[in-house]
Amino acid sequence: MKEQIQEILEEARRSIPSCESDKDLEELRIKYLGKKSSLSDLLSKIGTVPKEERPQMGALLNKTKKEIAQLIEQKKLKLHEKADASRALGLDVTMPGRPLPVGAKHPLYQIWEEIEDIFINLGFEVAEGPEIESEYYNFDALNTPSWHPARNPQDTFYLKGGKLLRTQTSPMQIRVMEKFKPPIKIISTGRCYRVDKMDPSHLPVFHQVEALLVDEGITMSDMKGELDSFIKRIFSADTRSRFRPHFFPFTEPSAEIDILCINCKGEGCKLCKNSGWLEMGGAGMVDPAVLEEVGYDPEKYTGYAFGLGIERIAMLRYGISDIRKLVTNDLRILKQFQ
Amino acid sequence: MKISYNWLKELVPTQLNIDEFCEKLTMFGLEVEEVVQPGKKLENIVIGKVVSVEKHPNADKLSLCKVDVGGDESLSIICGAPNVVKDILVPVAMIGAKLGDFEIKKAKLRGVESFGMICSEKELGVSDDHSGIMIIKQDFEPGTPFADAMGINDNIIEVEVTPNRPDLLGMIGVAREVAVMLNTEYEHPEIAFEESEVQTKDEISVIIEDAEKCPRYCARMVKGITVQHSPEWMQRKLVASGLRPINNIVDVTNYVLLEYGQPLHAFDYTKIKDKTIVVRTAKDKEKMMLLDDTELKLHSNNLLIADTEHPLALAGIMGGLDSSINDNTKDVVIECAYFDPRNIRASALEYGLQTDSSNRFERGMDPNGLIEVIDRAAQLIQLTGGGEISSGVVDCYPHKIEPKILTLRVSRANSILNAKMSVDEVKNYLNNFEFSTKKTSEDTFEVTIPTLRPDIEREIDIIEELARCYGYNNVESHFWINRIDNKQKRTVVRLTKNHLISLGFFEVNNMSFASPDDLDVLKIPENDFRRKVVEFANPMGEQFSIMRSTLIPDLLKNADLNLSYKFENFKLFELNRIYLKEREDTFAEPTYLTGVIVGKFDPFYWKEEQRATSFYDVKGIVESVFSKIHCSKNITYKVSNQPYYEEDSAADIFLDEKKIGSCGIMKDDVLKSFEIEALVLLFDIDLSNIIPLYNEKAIRFTEIVKYPPVLRDIAVIAPSDIEVGEIEQEIKSVDPNIIKDVQLFDVYTGKQIKQGCRSLAFNITFQSETSTLTDKYVDKLFDNIVNKLSLEHQIELRQE
Repeated sequence: MKEQIQEILEEARRSIPSCESDKDLEELRIKYLGKKSSLSDLLSKIGTVPKEERPQMGALLNKTKKEIAQLIEQKKLKLHEKADASRALGLDVTMPGRPLPVGAKHPLYQIWEEIEDIFINLGFEVAEGPEIESEYYNFDALNTPSWHPARNPQDTFYLKGGKLLRTQTSPMQIRVMEKFKPPIKIISTGRCYRVDKMDPSHLPVFHQVEALLVDEGITMSDMKGELDSFIKRIFSADTRSRFRPHFFPFTEPSAEIDILCINCKGEGCKLCKNSGWLEMGGAGMVDPAVLEEVGYDPEKYTGYAFGLGIERIAMLRYGISDIRKLVTNDLRILKQFQ
Repeated sequence: MKISYNWLKELVPTQLNIDEFCEKLTMFGLEVEEVVQPGKKLENIVIGKVVSVEKHPNADKLSLCKVDVGGDESLSIICGAPNVVKDILVPVAMIGAKLGDFEIKKAKLRGVESFGMICSEKELGVSDDHSGIMIIKQDFEPGTPFADAMGINDNIIEVEVTPNRPDLLGMIGVAREVAVMLNTEYEHPEIAFEESEVQTKDEISVIIEDAEKCPRYCARMVKGITVQHSPEWMQRKLVASGLRPINNIVDVTNYVLLEYGQPLHAFDYTKIKDKTIVVRTAKDKEKMMLLDDTELKLHSNNLLIADTEHPLALAGIMGGLDSSINDNTKDVVIECAYFDPRNIRASALEYGLQTDSSNRFERGMDPNGLIEVIDRAAQLIQLTGGGEISSGVVDCYPHKIEPKILTLRVSRANSILNAKMSVDEVKNYLNNFEFSTKKTSEDTFEVTIPTLRPDIEREIDIIEELARCYGYNNVESHFWINRIDNKQKRTVVRLTKNHLISLGFFEVNNMSFASPDDLDVLKIPENDFRRKVVEFANPMGEQFSIMRSTLIPDLLKNADLNLSYKFENFKLFELNRIYLKEREDTFAEPTYLTGVIVGKFDPFYWKEEQRATSFYDVKGIVESVFSKIHCSKNITYKVSNQPYYEEDSAADIFLDEKKIGSCGIMKDDVLKSFEIEALVLLFDIDLSNIIPLYNEKAIRFTEIVKYPPVLRDIAVIAPSDIEVGEIEQEIKSVDPNIIKDVQLFDVYTGKQIKQGCRSLAFNITFQSETSTLTDKYVDKLFDNIVNKLSLEHQIELRQE
């Protein structure tokens, strides 16, 4: 029996590699491994073998079957490779390659990172703070008078228990100044909240970046220069900014920042409502009362602060006209920002 | 440059020990590169007195000496030198002394024992003399350490002189600098000698033909000298500074070079034709033979010192062979000149001759310091070689180079340094530098800069000198950075986001508001931490009445929306804060990372059938995030019973012992509440606990193991209730130092496998850091693994 097995194996070793097609190979598989194959036949006759040789013979049969199965498998792969290769002869390079996924950061967060990086390069440190704030940090310490309309529940979200959601990132300025001595050169970034109905230009949840620099001898020129270099980096080198007198409780003098319309460069267009300028945010020299509140000597130290809306910057950069597009999370939008 | 500390102390008194001194010097701007103690090499070498000398019984040329080295008994030493005699003092290297790499041991020479060695000057590195043993002429007690006796117990300080400071290339310049540093005085050598009646100008004349290349040339004469060895003190200082003694005339020029930094040259008077020195440029193709036997072919840019016929020296670089001092020289002309640095640099570069002399001239010497230097040289030549010094210096100096006068504003200096130096303080510093000052207003000085400092050209150069005096470390530091910055969080957030994006995720941005219904739909139990919600006093309607305490509902709404736009397979994540009420008025805002995988995990590919998504897909994502932010080691997984997952399809994630999130397949009925019919996998992780662990500075390189790993597979039949993680741990625990990795590569359940069991196959990597593993050793470990699994866990090796 041993010789017979050996013979079958030898034959298989010769015939399988020389086989040319899947069909022929399948025939060979049936011949060697099928139910009616000579190996199966031998297996059924194992009872005729002397008892002491039986296990040995069984093992040999199994081993042989395994090897033949392996040979067939290898040949199959080879035949397929050939098929692939022959297809390659008529290679179609326009057919898609194996797709590897590419996702995207949300456009708002892409701009947020870019803003952070610009300020980091300008030497600012990044501070984050709580969104759930006390009235003290959000209003009192920032010199907001008790009659100021921003304190109204029509404008500010109050929580059960008395706290509120910060309406700006400025409370972080107070927290940092309380903790550290000048020089201070930080930006604070993050989510802010105001009670606003959602419409094309308002969301109750938005993001701000605010810069604060306090040291000896800081002037309004420093503020204009630093803001300008930021504006030029985030938009383009020919973008200019201007300051208009305004009122904020925590800065004096206070100003609103306009930039030259990035669309029409001042000519007047739909984006800037024909004014040639786009409103960007607020700025000013830190009010001495704010410095005093955190224990700085306002005679010795001066500083500036300016705040910008991240959604606003993202909308201008990408040409998005409805702020709500930034919270729909529609893949048809997100896929544009890969 | 090498500075002998002993020599320096002769010029500037200081009590500082060598370490303190070097520290100060470095901080003052003269960086100390190395300090060498030559005496250290001479340990166990002492002065011995030869008490008796006898012939060696078995060798003609050897003597058997008894030497008194201060101990109770004289040492027996065998010596081969011809000049050993009774009663002389000699250096003795005792047993244990080291001469270079050679250690002195007890030795037997031709049958007689010797207990040390009497040394020659060469053996001690004192000179090249190896003709016999060194005989010490001064009187010392036997036993005195040789280094002490010879004054070699010195510290040789190697300093880096910056290229702008030629004045520091001599000991006196260094002493001047050190005196400023220590706010003390320093001494010039005392120069006094008698001049003969012979007038120098009658003996030698100097003609400068090119005053631009040689603005000043001085000459002096010493007649009737003897060329011989220079005295020991001079030789010692030369050696200490790295120069080799030659004869007294050469040694004096070198010695004065070390003292003043100013190169000198000495000519044999008889070789100067017509008693005339002409400083001129070379004729084209003129030839000259240098001291080192090389012949140069010159051209018109090379400056020469010549007589009326022949070149005597290549100016400022090297002397000529013909006019050099030899043993028979009687009358010497000393040259001390100032050459244009640019010309010297060009010629030295052209001929590749970087000499001690050219190195100094090309940095710029002091044109107004020449007389003191030439007088010093004349004095020392007379001292070491006798003779008579002719009267006066022939000084050819057509256009005097005047010191620069600069204006210094004290307020300017203070504002640049943010210092508060007073006017007097500034004046004191400047005068220490030998800058003379004239106060011209309350704030300004007119400062005269001596010509030895070519580096001081502008006010700001003076301010730099003041800064050094004031002390760089006394300048207040005014800092901005690294107090507040949230870099750690920023890094983790950005790494995580970028990683997920490259895996095909899209980031979403949802507002922070939520409705309490969302928590009910997720079946979150009443006692869950997410039920401690932050409620508004003035909500914008029921839909927005709380701050969200989980990001999951928003992501499911985003998924639903995008399914409705016919996207079938996609991945979304949000990384944002959630809001929790801790007590009545304290709140927490932890940062969460939550994501969903909707539909199929793999993108559609025309060549293959799209694979069904499984729990292990979401687990793979989670694992890769953790490994990206370096916390995989602390993470473990246990079966989750969060109510929004399908049964047996989710894991809770633990950071050490703390539960920080979960991942798994979402329950159908939960999804239905969001109108989702697709398969959704979820992960939801609190990053707040992980962020503080991130430390990029903890990454350290480990040397690659140079011994090859051995790979073995093991296939086992294990009861299904034993987790793979546990089996992996068990395998590793057999020898954690050698078993580096255990990787699952096959799982199988089926007919052939016993009920309630599964077949698992692992790939095991064995590797040692200290040796190549033998098959035998790995076999043993493998057996240990098999035994451990079978004895402790009823896990059996799978039989083929």
